Amino acid sequence: MKDFFKTSSFKVLMITVVVLLGLIIYTASAGGSFLANILGFVSSPMQSIATETTDGVQSFVNLDGFSKEELKDMITSLQEENAILREGQVKLRDLEQENEQLKEQLKIQEAVPDTEMLSASVIGRDPSDVFFGFSINKGTLSGISVGDPVITKQGLVGLVTQAYATTSKVTCILSEEVPVGAICKKEGGYSESGVVTSNIQTAASGLLRMEYLSNETKIEPGDIIVTSGSASIYPENLIIGEVQSVEKSENDISHYAVIKPYEDIKNVKEVHVILNFPGKGEETPEETTSGVDSQDPEDAEAVK
Amino acid sequence: MTDFNRVIRYLAYTLELLVLFMLQETPGLMPAIFGSRPLMVLPAAVTIALFEPELTAMAFGVLGGLFLDFGFSCPMGFHALILAVLCFFVSTIVKVYLQVNFVTAMITGLWTTAVVVASIWLFLYYFPGYSMPGYAVLHRYLPEYFYTLLFFPLTFLLNKALYQALKQQE
Repeated sequence: MKDFFKTSSFKVLMITVVVLLGLIIYTASAGGSFLANILGFVSSPMQSIATETTDGVQSFVNLDGFSKEELKDMITSLQEENAILREGQVKLRDLEQENEQLKEQLKIQEAVPDTEMLSASVIGRDPSDVFFGFSINKGTLSGISVGDPVITKQGLVGLVTQAYATTSKVTCILSEEVPVGAICKKEGGYSESGVVTSNIQTAASGLLRMEYLSNETKIEPGDIIVTSGSASIYPENLIIGEVQSVEKSENDISHYAVIKPYEDIKNVKEVHVILNFPGKGEETPEETTSGVDSQDPEDAEAVK
Repeated sequence: MTDFNRVIRYLAYTLELLVLFMLQETPGLMPAIFGSRPLMVLPAAVTIALFEPELTAMAFGVLGGLFLDFGFSCPMGFHALILAVLCFFVSTIVKVYLQVNFVTAMITGLWTTAVVVASIWLFLYYFPGYSMPGYAVLHRYLPEYFYTLLFFPLTFLLNKALYQALKQQE
């Protein structure tokens, strides 16, 4: 055993450990790394193909709702379509996808004007991420930077937390790491603000919690929660979800609302990254709202 | 000829790790059990270590770990460090104390997966201060542990076949 520590193999192991510790410290402090960019260049095209193939197979297998006749018609029409499209299949698929993404982007831009957006596809979900974060197929070369909000036409999905050359990591709003300043606007100009966050238990159910509501809160099931835009991290009025219930907090006298996002965040496949929006990164004066606004969402909204 | 076979074997291992990484990361491919999905790269790296010398095992541990780091939003090198040390010691222990067979592979899988999953929970969940760490262990990390174990027989047989096919000709 004594000799084992003197072997050249053990010395190489120690050198490797020191180098990897250095890499951990470097990437923890500096963010991205050259190594991650290289891995992204290698893996992202293959991940895109694997994801597209899986989606195709899943939609092919999911035929439970069709009758035999409908299936026969479908096969016939698909064979005809296949014969026509075979020549330009690959190119056409790309163009169709781009077209759909742009259409969706246009719809969102009508709802959220003056924003600069980029469409992206989800290419990876890590099994160890308990908050359902994912990778997208666009990175810094496409203009994405850390802190860009990620949305779909159904509403807010998350925030870019790591940006490499060709891929980016998105942390979902289901994560504890991404609290969002939120507001509930009701009839008569009444509004009430709070912080939307989550924990592992609510994230597993795909739900969110709007914290710091007063015990006299007027928020009720069915109300729609949107971003307040108070910390200039997200644009104003992005839909977050719908209130399911209002409950008393376990820790203090405040209440919290359980929110169901309109988007199925755990299985989202196509997203849009907001590269720029009016007021991005600017400090804004504290909003005046009725209800309990004693907690400043700006502080809480800053990403840990 | 020996070098050529070794190069082919190492290329096959690299390809295996890359393919398993893609399968592991592809959304919707592996069905979730209790919301958890397996770490398929881990069994591959550990079973490669059962057949290869310690430095080669460590190198493939680093490669598999870097893939895991890239997939997960954590500092690059975290999984690589754990897998490098684990694979080095697995290779050393197997050469000195154990015979390589199905049973030892499964026993190795039990403790190495426990070390990796416990490290992920400790360093990437508990120390960063996320809430409900006990709930996370029971509902996310334990299912992930058992799900990952299911892939040890498959990767063991695959790597054994690869090793024997390319070793016999050396």
